[in-house]
Amino acid sequence: MMREIVYDVFTRKDRGDQLVHIGYIDAFDDETARVYAWKTYDEEKWFEMCVVERTAIIPVNRDEGVFANARRADV
Amino acid sequence: MTEPLNVDTLDEASRVALERLILTLADSKRLMGIRYSDWTIGAPSIETGIAASSMAQDEWGHARLLYSMFKGLGKDPVPMEHDRQASEYASVAALDEEMADWAAVVAAMVLVDGGISSVLRSFAGGAFEPARNRVPKMLAEEEFHASLGAAWYKRLAAAGGEAKDLLTAATRSMLPTMVAWVGADDAGSRALVDAGVLEDRESRLAAFADRVGEFTRLVGVDIDSVEASADWDETRGRTTGQPNDEAIERARGDRNRALFVE
Repeated sequence: MMREIVYDVFTRKDRGDQLVHIGYIDAFDDETARVYAWKTYDEEKWFEMCVVERTAIIPVNRDEGVFANARRADV
Repeated sequence: MTEPLNVDTLDEASRVALERLILTLADSKRLMGIRYSDWTIGAPSIETGIAASSMAQDEWGHARLLYSMFKGLGKDPVPMEHDRQASEYASVAALDEEMADWAAVVAAMVLVDGGISSVLRSFAGGAFEPARNRVPKMLAEEEFHASLGAAWYKRLAAAGGEAKDLLTAATRSMLPTMVAWVGADDAGSRALVDAGVLEDRESRLAAFADRVGEFTRLVGVDIDSVEASADWDETRGRTTGQPNDEAIERARGDRNRALFVE
């Protein structure tokens, strides 16, 4: 069974624009993630696109606000 | 870079050879697109299917650009695209039949799409100006095909078992005709080398081996020991055989061509 990794996709339409999260893809390594992201989210002529493994994103405030409320509701 | 070629000064044999080269590249691109399009549904994941669909579009765009080079040679590209029989197609033999499994598609990405790019790179660096102008963008788009092919080829080879067996079989099946095509050495090919349109046979084969050798080694195939197919068709600039009729009906757009309004 092939293990797939979730990658989040970020783009910048023009130079100076903010980098925006536009979606995600499943891929089995960084190289396939690059290709899948480029081919899947090709509706614009991006100035910049990058992908990052979702597990590499470090939560900063997940103990606060709605996250904490949601956690309490789960218990 | 060599001086641009003045096609009006070409002798008849060289002109025919140039037309043959453009046609074999354009037809190969068109068939490559059809083979990718077969896998927009049924690829291993949604992302892979989207990539196959996008690559099919790339290939058809490249084919259109290559066919249009005939205008500069005083020929109408429309009949080339829509009126020929399968027996007249000059696409590489490895694309004659549909791919039996995903491993064959992956092998084709690396060996066939890669082989076509290898010859295109030589064409882009030669004396024929339309190739110098138009082919570099194709090659830039092809980098994504190469990346995807490389990742999948390594993945299937490392998986072992049936995946590796199928990949090995497809590799062994495709290589002899690809080596014959990339390393074509008949009178027409030599005329193009003399005219500065293509690099010589040895350089083309070395570039192809550099590109695919590291992959074929993963399935126990030494690219330098592969024997080229001997059944060469000098008229079309490919090995013998022809694409299946169903693919050519799709390439020509037979089914809905009558509805086309220009």
